[in-house]
Amino acid sequence: MHKIQNKFPIAANERLCPRFYRLAVDAKSILKSIRPGQFLHIRVTDGLEPFFRRPFSVYRAKKFVEILYEPIGLGTRLLAEKKPGEFLDILGPLGNHFTAPPKGTKQVWMVAGGIGLAPFLFLSDELKHKGYELILFYGGRSKGHVFPMKEFKNNGVKTWIATDDGSIGVKGWVSELFRTLDPNPTTTMVYTCGPHAMLASVQSFVKARGLRCEASCEEVMACALGACLGCSIPTVNGYKTVCYDGPVFDIAEVVFS
Amino acid sequence: MPEKKPTTVKPTGHWSRVTGHGSQLNLAVQIGTLRLKNPVTVASGTFGHAEKYYDLEEVKKLGALVPKTVTLHSREGNPPPRILETPSGMLNAIGIENPGVDGFIEKKLPALRRIGIPLFISILGHTDEEFETIVKKFTKEGGADAFELNLSCPNLKQKILVAQDPQATRRVVAKVKAIARVPVIAKLAPNVTDIGEIAQAAVDAGADAISLINTFSAMAIDVRTRRSVLGNCTGGLSGPAIRPMAVHMIWEVAQKIKIPIIGMGGIMTAQDALEFLIAGATMVAVGTANFINPRAPLEVLEGIVEYMRKNKMNDIKDLIGSLKI
Repeated sequence: MHKIQNKFPIAANERLCPRFYRLAVDAKSILKSIRPGQFLHIRVTDGLEPFFRRPFSVYRAKKFVEILYEPIGLGTRLLAEKKPGEFLDILGPLGNHFTAPPKGTKQVWMVAGGIGLAPFLFLSDELKHKGYELILFYGGRSKGHVFPMKEFKNNGVKTWIATDDGSIGVKGWVSELFRTLDPNPTTTMVYTCGPHAMLASVQSFVKARGLRCEASCEEVMACALGACLGCSIPTVNGYKTVCYDGPVFDIAEVVFS
Repeated sequence: MPEKKPTTVKPTGHWSRVTGHGSQLNLAVQIGTLRLKNPVTVASGTFGHAEKYYDLEEVKKLGALVPKTVTLHSREGNPPPRILETPSGMLNAIGIENPGVDGFIEKKLPALRRIGIPLFISILGHTDEEFETIVKKFTKEGGADAFELNLSCPNLKQKILVAQDPQATRRVVAKVKAIARVPVIAKLAPNVTDIGEIAQAAVDAGADAISLINTFSAMAIDVRTRRSVLGNCTGGLSGPAIRPMAVHMIWEVAQKIKIPIIGMGGIMTAQDALEFLIAGATMVAVGTANFINPRAPLEVLEGIVEYMRKNKMNDIKDLIGSLKI
């Protein structure tokens, strides 16, 4: 009954670092229509456990459609067991996307926490060779959450890394990497994705400096189609669904509790 | 996991006739004065944004659509978290977030009308008068082929649901029946001692059909924080976890009342839907399954057809209430 429900074969499912996996599907029919910030809603089992599908930001849409994930719960652990050639039932692409940096932007910041890194390779694919200085600030729990990020570097992205335990990069939260910086609000655009606490700290940073910023938000989702209204988050304009109104919001709009 | 080839279901001039293998199947059912081309619909609150995401040619194959419940005034819904997955099910406390009857008629109804199949408009009033006002507005604007009275939402912090009180059920149904020009369906709650008594009250008040069941009141606790997981504290449980209880309630009510039952509660597949029909439901509504497999309502319809063919049944009426005891 769905225009956007497909079964795609897995092309690759590999571990990038101790904690993160990359899964690629051969999905030519949707490849060209996906925009950075959009997501896929994946059914990880034909059975009833886990019951919901799982949403994943698109990590890259080049030859294959790729996601980045961390096997942490039942859904992602089942995903890690999938082999190339198996088919995945996928809804997508879903949701809105990051908007292009406004005119006059020279520097693009991508602020990522943990698996919130996922949408930014795709964004940098889109923004490279356009004259922007691309900077990734990435915070992970430990060195197990860090991989060489060669693909980012190939896109000309300068990467700054922090870990909670200091096992690699600067010790502390990702905000340690930029809290003393004072970027020019008329030439800087910030994109961010990560846990709520991190987004809240980015929100206060960009507010204090008058920076423009878009945040990709995450919530538990059932339908991901704007039908169940289960993934609503509070915004200054009332509740909005992450799946249909988002996942990308102007960070000034979101109310982080 | 190879692609499953869908069974072809093609209307042949008559909405209710399905051809194939030389035989004709009659899938048509009747709710009050309304004839539906087949018995499959969706449960309220589980189907949205059809124009953007769905192949409308496929949606048109369903017997009817039931949009999310509409209240007189807009409601912003409950604070998050609003949903949680549970063993074979889903806990929700959305809180009837909706744009209100005027907003619904203006913003949502036109696209739903364009799909071109009957709409059962699910409505909820906080008072009898609100139910009446909503019905009057739809009667004036058109667009409702039937009303489904949501007497049983567990997520609005009421002390008692209308559908937990036979007198209140009788009163609300009678008031709406007095002014509605289309069939009236009472959606009842499973959280009662005697479902038969409540169903009978709806019948006495003139209801044209009964929808069974709404969600079971339920909750989950985060033991780390010792707080309820849902922002509303309690919620309603749906999905396959409640299905056997739903089937039982339909069977129980079907023996007592003569009006049609729209059966729902955890239907994921055609096999599940067949249980409801055999237990005595005239129609089946696919709800939570839409969130997992948006094609579930169509697969249910295709599977019912397949079952009838295999069992050499020509009319859906041969299936409804055919439980052998």
